[in-house]
Formats: sequence, structure tokens, C-alpha cells
Amino acid sequence: MIWLWLGGLIRERQGRLVGMMTGIALSVALLAALGAFLTQSAASMTHRAIGSVPVDWQVQIAAGASLPDIAKVLAPGVSKQQTVGYADVDGFEAHTGGTVQTTGPGKVLGVDAQYRLDFPEQLRSLVGNLDGVLVAQQTAANLHVGMGDSVQIHRPGLPSAEVKVAGIVDLPNADSLFQAVGVPPGAAPQAPPDNVLLLPLSTWHGLFDPQAVARPDSVRMQLHAGLAHDRLPNDPEAAFVAVQGAARNLEARIAGNGVIADNLAARLDAVRGDALYARVLFLFLSAPGCLLAAFLTIAVAASGGDRRRRDQALLRIRGASRSQIMQLAAVEAGVVGVGGAAIGVGLAALISSMLLQTTIFAGSAAVWVAGAALAGVLLAQAAILITAWRNLTLTTVKDARMALGQERARLWQRVGLDFICLGLSAIVFWRTWSTGYQVVLAPEGTPSSSVDYIAFLAPVLLWLGAGLLTTRLCLIGLGLGRDQLARVLRPLAGPLAGIVAAAISRQRRRITQGIALVALGFAFATSTAIFNTTYHAQTLVDAALTNGADVTVTGTAQAPASAALQTLRALPGVMAAQPMQHRFAYVGNDLQDLYGIDARHIGEATRMSDAYFAGGDATRTLALLARTPDGVLVSEETAKDFQLQLGDALNLRLQNARDHQYHSILFHYIGIAREFPTAPHDSFLVANAAYVSEQTGAAGAEIVLLQTSAAPARVAVAAKLATAAWPGIKVTDIGQAQHLIGSSLTAIDLGGLARLELGFAVLMVAGATGLILALGLADRRRTFAILSALGAKPRQLGVFLWSEALLLFIVGALVGMLTGFGLAWMLVKLLTGVFDPPPELISVPWFYLLALIGVALLSVVAAVIGALRETGVPAVQRMREI
Amino acid sequence: MDASLMADALIQATDVGRAYRQGSATVAAVVEATFQLQPKDRMALMGRSGSGKSTLLHLMAGLDRPDSGSLLWPALGAAESLLPAKIALVFQAPSLLEPLTVAENVALPLLMSGAVVDTDAAVTAALATFGLTHLADKLPETLSGGQMQCVAMARAIVGQPQLILADEPTGQLDRVTGQALLDALLQHLAGTETALVIATHDPAVAERMTMIWRMDHGRLLADGQREVVA
Repeated sequence: MIWLWLGGLIRERQGRLVGMMTGIALSVALLAALGAFLTQSAASMTHRAIGSVPVDWQVQIAAGASLPDIAKVLAPGVSKQQTVGYADVDGFEAHTGGTVQTTGPGKVLGVDAQYRLDFPEQLRSLVGNLDGVLVAQQTAANLHVGMGDSVQIHRPGLPSAEVKVAGIVDLPNADSLFQAVGVPPGAAPQAPPDNVLLLPLSTWHGLFDPQAVARPDSVRMQLHAGLAHDRLPNDPEAAFVAVQGAARNLEARIAGNGVIADNLAARLDAVRGDALYARVLFLFLSAPGCLLAAFLTIAVAASGGDRRRRDQALLRIRGASRSQIMQLAAVEAGVVGVGGAAIGVGLAALISSMLLQTTIFAGSAAVWVAGAALAGVLLAQAAILITAWRNLTLTTVKDARMALGQERARLWQRVGLDFICLGLSAIVFWRTWSTGYQVVLAPEGTPSSSVDYIAFLAPVLLWLGAGLLTTRLCLIGLGLGRDQLARVLRPLAGPLAGIVAAAISRQRRRITQGIALVALGFAFATSTAIFNTTYHAQTLVDAALTNGADVTVTGTAQAPASAALQTLRALPGVMAAQPMQHRFAYVGNDLQDLYGIDARHIGEATRMSDAYFAGGDATRTLALLARTPDGVLVSEETAKDFQLQLGDALNLRLQNARDHQYHSILFHYIGIAREFPTAPHDSFLVANAAYVSEQTGAAGAEIVLLQTSAAPARVAVAAKLATAAWPGIKVTDIGQAQHLIGSSLTAIDLGGLARLELGFAVLMVAGATGLILALGLADRRRTFAILSALGAKPRQLGVFLWSEALLLFIVGALVGMLTGFGLAWMLVKLLTGVFDPPPELISVPWFYLLALIGVALLSVVAAVIGALRETGVPAVQRMREI
Repeated sequence: MDASLMADALIQATDVGRAYRQGSATVAAVVEATFQLQPKDRMALMGRSGSGKSTLLHLMAGLDRPDSGSLLWPALGAAESLLPAKIALVFQAPSLLEPLTVAENVALPLLMSGAVVDTDAAVTAALATFGLTHLADKLPETLSGGQMQCVAMARAIVGQPQLILADEPTGQLDRVTGQALLDALLQHLAGTETALVIATHDPAVAERMTMIWRMDHGRLLADGQREVVA
């Protein structure tokens, strides 16, 4: 009997079977492809994050411990290791140009020649070569020394030693290189020293081994090690646990003879938070899509209820029991589930390889695929068995009455589930808002991490609540507004407007279900599109913030980039070029980056976002700075630490070009800058370049920001060529910055994911409108057959079809898009942590939304034309259906 | 044949044939039917199930086209203009539109034909003919089978068509209800020019007509010759 039934289903009901399989396939494909992408992106985040760690472990040797012994213990677990000596000195002194420059306390590092080969990210040569004595850029500026000049090192407790400078270097990772090793977690970070000299290790030993004897507290040895990254797990959380565990194991084995600064674990610690954000992000974006695909499948399964009831009645007349009928439904569900899941997995494999450049069958992605396929099979069982059970147990009279919307309100309406959902959504959103949108908590330094999955309920409940409220309002509107609907339809329906409005009104239950599905589809597509566009726009803002502008030319105090300003300005593809000073200033004893700008024109070369400034008004803040020559914007941290009030006088110490000494200069605190192009995240200052030039006697600007009309990468190449003659000038473009932002989630390339989701969203919307409409119209072929046999002309049949279709489309699209805008706003707010800085406005992809409307309209037209063609079947044939 | 009779004829059929394909076989539903239908005619079309009665009614309504022969509506015009203004159809099975009330169902032909009449008055009159006024605002699902058929008949007469074609209109009704429906219909048509053709198995219904045509295996017996029932 089962095979007979199955054969009949395939022969006679293939349309409905294919429809349900399509719904299942979409759900499975979306889930599997997203899972594969999530797995791959986590691996990519791990790979990129650990790739940017210059030194994985810094093992500080305890006083009296044997360095060779510890190196021996360390060797099996690492792929490379180097010895580095650290010595504190009282200061440096240089005699140049008839003047004497001295510095405060500094540090002298001893590194082997092999060090820069093993850890190339640690040193960047600016002038000269890397063999010999090297001076850090800022120290060289302070001492006013260059290649071949002599520097005296004032050793504590020992006579000064003199060395000859071979080159000037930048220490890009000074924070980690000079970090205090072994301090408790949560301790305030230690600022890197202002004055640094690097010596070949043998020279260093010659100078500082005696100091180690005289002042053992001023000399330390470290082993810098790199781990084999390819052996680490792909997941940031698992990699973090593995690396931290290995470090602790090493600490245990060296038994107190050394302390480890675990830079790699610290990096992974930051990334695992981002990975959790990524997981939440994918949940936020994909869950409504999967739910929608499930709703579509259930709607397809539920359509054709009349026919199913007739089939069941015939089976029961012939003696089939309820359990036998349910068994047959289970067979149908099995065919749909397995078939849909298989198609879905195939679709996911195709999409993943084409859009995401990944395979769904590798490693942990395969678990997602298996889970998605299982979910598809279960969804089919649920959709078909529940529908079959309802058809089997409900009376036909009751069903018929329900079809005309005169039945008692459903349970969800009576209990106000729509209002409950919306209320809960507001409460959950408020709760997350009150914590400053802390959706992901990954406490630094601890292996535990958590995601506030409750926050995820806010948009889902808003989405569901909006769908249910749409249903309620449409039911009320279509019930009470029949006359108004007739008036609206009159231009289309003419004398039939009243009849058509009456028919729609009495079938409001079925029509509002369609409207709700269309609205949910549009809401999903709109919110996804807006979020993705905002996300993309924000990655550019993030990259611009990091790089400074489309193209940034960075020089040194000795060779400021502003010397090439006119050359750069004249380059093809350059729209605007603005110089920006990058100096250092002491706030009390705290050395901070200071940016000197032309406040009136800086915005021409780089975007001045409102989010950069407290008060959220970039124009007003910059205008105030322009009006206040000695004004300075400080970071929130500085304002708090130094208890500054607006208008307070602030004495900053800046280096003067004439004597190379730091002198106090009076500024006035006028506001807070939270972010600034190229500035570090913690503390920095922004002042007027003209005032800084006047007070320091140095008019040059170390940085030139370029806004381009051509591709930034191309302009960067031209800028590199144009500035090749200037020593130490570095040119970077926004694309490089985008690639290098390793710590931020916005560094993930969501391009493939966006294409995948937006493609699915279009399919969902097309399915929700066209498929649901087509199935609804197919269910009422009998109505159209009667109309046709009574003499209705094709145009008059079209009036019935178009009225319903346009109502479904217009109301569904309108409500859905409005809900989508609300959802997108909520998503962007909830995922504030993803964005750095947070977006000021959501970005709306108008073209995509128009295309979405176009696709939905096309599917409506296709459904109506299909139904009209159906009415074109000879009247006699239709009459036989009556 | 009298030329004036031909010009006044509602339907003029000559050797009309219609066959259907059923799988690989061809079934002749109507074979060489020749007849003429005049205004005021009251015709019963009798025959066994499958004898071709419904196909002939569909051909007469212009819903179907003959494979052979000639089928014309001299007094009514082109086939495309027949329904619903000039010819009305009544079906054996329930044929009311479920989402529309009784009154709205009855008004449909008037609205579809764009007739310039007082729709409400015409509907009220048609419902009154069959004693259905009190059901005007009811939905079909609340009616009995007999009431539904009466409403379908009211829908047929509302536009005052020149020909009513009824396919087993009393087939699903008990005898008393069927007779009452027929009484009301014939009383309404009395004195009008409207012709009536009823396909029926029921001799009691056929006896109420002025003519009976019999069909057997698609053939009209006596080729449409009038058989007056006493």
C-alpha cells in the first residue's frame, strides 16, 4: 500500500512535493552554507590573528636561573627562539651640531643578527642598516642623531659607554616588546620607554654583564619564542585554550625559573571575543532566514488541505485507520525530507564553492552539514505530519467556516502573542541597551567566555511579533474596511469592486497568512541587506580610521611627509591632500601622540565622523578647535585621569626644533576626541597645527592624508614612486589597512556571506510572494472555474486574481520593509560591539531593495499569469472540476 | 425550413459533432445533431448518463466548440457574447462562490455583463421568485442543498437571459423541493420570451416541458424532431 501511495504521490502530486522539497532544500542549504562559512571564518580569524603576533612568547628568566637550561626545556615546544637582553640605563647623551642633547632614563636591548630574521615584525629599518647599533626613531629625534653619530650610554653604577649609530629603526610592537612580564592580570599596561637603543647581543653582553653584577635589578634576559602555528586548532577559543595550556605547562616545567608573557594567548583572547561576536552575528542574520524557509515549507504543506482531506476521506471510507493514514503521511514526509535535504546539501556545496570559496565537507563544517540535513528531515516530518493530523482530526464544517474567517479568534490572538512578542523584544532590547550592548563577554586573560544569547531574542521577537501583529491588523482591516477596499479596487475592478472586496474580506484569514509571510520575507531581506551594507560601510570607516585616509604618506620628524605635499597633491587621482603633524607630548609624565591639524580643512582629505568626538558633532567640534588656536582635544581617559574641565589650561611638553628639548606649552582643553585617523585607541591629543608649529619651531607635518578619486592602491603606488627620494617615507592605502585589521570582527570579509544571504533573501521573498500566491490560487481553481462557466471574461477573472495578488504584495512588501528597517536598526544597535567606531546611520542599499521589489513583483506577475493561463483551459474541462 | 423561423432561432444546429479523447480512445459525445431552438421553447433533454446531454448543453452555451457541423445563434449573436447576458447556465453540483453572500452570488451575472440595471432591485426580485429573500445575506455554507440550487436558479434568471440551460437542476433534490423549484421557474418564465432547456433523468421534470429530446450515445433521437408530450 505504501509503494502504491508513493507512486500515486509522485505521479499526481509532484508539484506540491517539489514545492515542499524546495522549502526544505532552502532551509538546509542556508543552514549548511552558513555553518561552513562560520567555521571557515573562525579559522581565518585565528590564522590572521596569530599571523600578526610578532613574538608568541616572551620568557623572562628569573634572577640566578640558567638561560641555556630554560632554552633547552623550551626548545621542543617551539619552532624558533632567540635570546634578548634588556638593560635599564640612566639616559643617553649625544653631541651633534655644536649642541648637547640628553635624554631621561631609557633601555638598551641586546639582540642577535638572527633575531630580525626570526621575528621580522619587531624592527623596521628607517635609515641605515640593521647590523650594528640601532637607535629608535623617537630617541634619534630626541638626540638629534643620525648614522655615524656617537651616543653615550649612561649606565647606572658604571662609567658611560659610547657607541656609534649604524641605523635608525621603528619598533612597531614596542608595547609588547617592553611589556612588564609577570604582572598580575588587569594591571595597568606599562608604557614603552621613550628612549631605546639596540646593540648586537655580543656588544650588549660586553657592556651590561658588568652592570648585571653591579645592579642586578637593572638587567634582565628574555627568550623570545615562536610556536608552530599550523598545529593550533582553527577555532580561536580552542586555540586560546591550547596555547594558554602549553604556556602554563612550560611554566610548571621550568619551575619558577622564568615567567611567560603569552602574547599569542593574549591575541587569541581578543580574537575569541570577535569569534563569538561572529557567531552571534551569523545567528542574528541567519536564524530568521531559516525560520522563514521553515514557515514557507509549512505553508506549502498546509496548502491543498481540501485535496488532502478528500484523499483522507477516501482512504477512511476504504477502511484505512488513522494510524495507517499517518503512516502514509510519514512516507510522504520522508520522501520530501530526504529529497529536500539532499538537494539542500548539493545546493550548499555549490553555493559554498562559488560564493564562499570553501567546501562544506571539510572538518567541522561537515558537522554543520549533517545537522542541517537532519533539521531538514525533521522539518519535513513536522510540517507534513502536523498538517495531516490537523486535517484528520478537525471537522470539515469547522474548517470550511475557518476558511471564510468567521471563526473564533485563534489562541495566539486571544492571548495577544503579538503584543507579548513585541513587549518582550522591547524589554530584551532595553536590557541589552542598559548594559551598553555588551552582547559578548570574553574576560581578558581567562579561558571562560560567554555570549548573551538572550539579546538575540530581541530582533527575533520583533520579527515574529511584527508578523503576528501584521496578521492581526490585516484581519481587522480586511474585516472592517471592506467598503474602503472596494473604493481602492474600483479603478481596477470597476463594477466588480464590491464583490471582489467582499470575497477578499471573507477570505481574510488565508490572505493575511500570505501577507504575513510576504512581510516576514521582506523584513528578513531588508534587514539583512541594510545590516550588510552598514557593516561594509563601517569596515571602510574602520579601515579609514586605521589608515588615516584613502592613502596615507607617513614620514619622520627628520623627513616630514609634508615636504612632498605639492608633489602628492599633483598626483593623478588625488582629490585632496592635507598635512597632519604627528608629534609626541607629555601630559604630566605620560607621553602621548599629538596630532596637529588644520581643523578647517582636514575633513577634505579624510572623513571626520561624528562618532570621533564626544557630543557626536564633528563639524561643531572642529569649528571650535579652529576658533581656539591653543585649543586641544584630549581622550576621555586623559580627561578623566587628569580631572580636566572644559576650558582648563593644560601645559603640554613638546620637543622644540631649535634645542631638541621638551618645553612646556600652554593649551586649553576644549573637548574630547574618542577616535582620530591613525591615532591609537587609548590616549592621544588633537591640536591646531599652526599653533604647534609656532610653539615648537617645526612647521613640517609627518603625515600627509590623501583622498582619492581613483583606486587607492593605484594612487599609493604613484605616491611611493613620487616620494622614493625622501628617506623613511612609508605609503599605505586603505585596502592594506582593511587586510591588516586583524583584531576587529569587521576584518572578516563578509562579501561572500552577504551575497549568500542576499541571494537567499531574494529567493525567500520570491517564494513567499509567488509560491504562496500560486498555491492559494491553485487551491481555488474551482472558484475560477465557476466564474468562468458563468461567463466571466478573462479580464474579469484577472480582476479577482490581480486584486488579491496586489493586496498581498503591496501590504506585505510595505509592512515587511518597514519592519526590516526597524530590525536593521535594532541589529546595528545590538551589535555595536562589532563596529569600531559605531555607525552614525544605517546604510540603505536602495538598489538591492528596488531589485528585491522587482523580483517579488515578477514572481507575483508569474503567479497571476500562471493562474490566468489555468483559466484559459477550455471551459468544458473546467466545468468538469465543478 | 422557414427562413423567418431560422432568423428568430436562438440556436440553429446542423450536423453538429463533438468527440473527446480518453487516453488512446476517442469518445463521440455528440454525433450529427441537427436542431433548432426558438424563443419560449421549453425543452427537456433526456438520456442515460454519458449519453452526451451535458456536452450538448455546453455546445449550446458556447462554452465548447463543435468538431464538425454548424452551430449558430441567429437571434443571439457571436458565441463569445452569449454568457452571461443572453444565456444562463445552471449546474447540477453546487456552484455558488463560497466567499460571497446569496445576494452577491445572484448579482454576479449582472455585474459581469455590465448591465445597466438597478442591481439591488433585480437581485431582490430574483430572490423573491424563489422565496429566498430572507437568505440574501447568508453565506452558501449555511444553506441546504435545495436552497443552494434555488439560489443558482435565481442567479440564472436575474439578468433576464433569452435562454436558460439547466443541467440536472433537481438531480440532487428531493421530489417536493425539485417540483417547487421548477414551479417557481416556470411561473417566472411564463409570458416571457426566454427559452428553457433542462437536461434531466426525471420524467416528472420532463413532463413539465413542452418538448422532450432524447439522447442516446451522442445522437439526438429523430434528429431534433419535436416530441410533444401530452
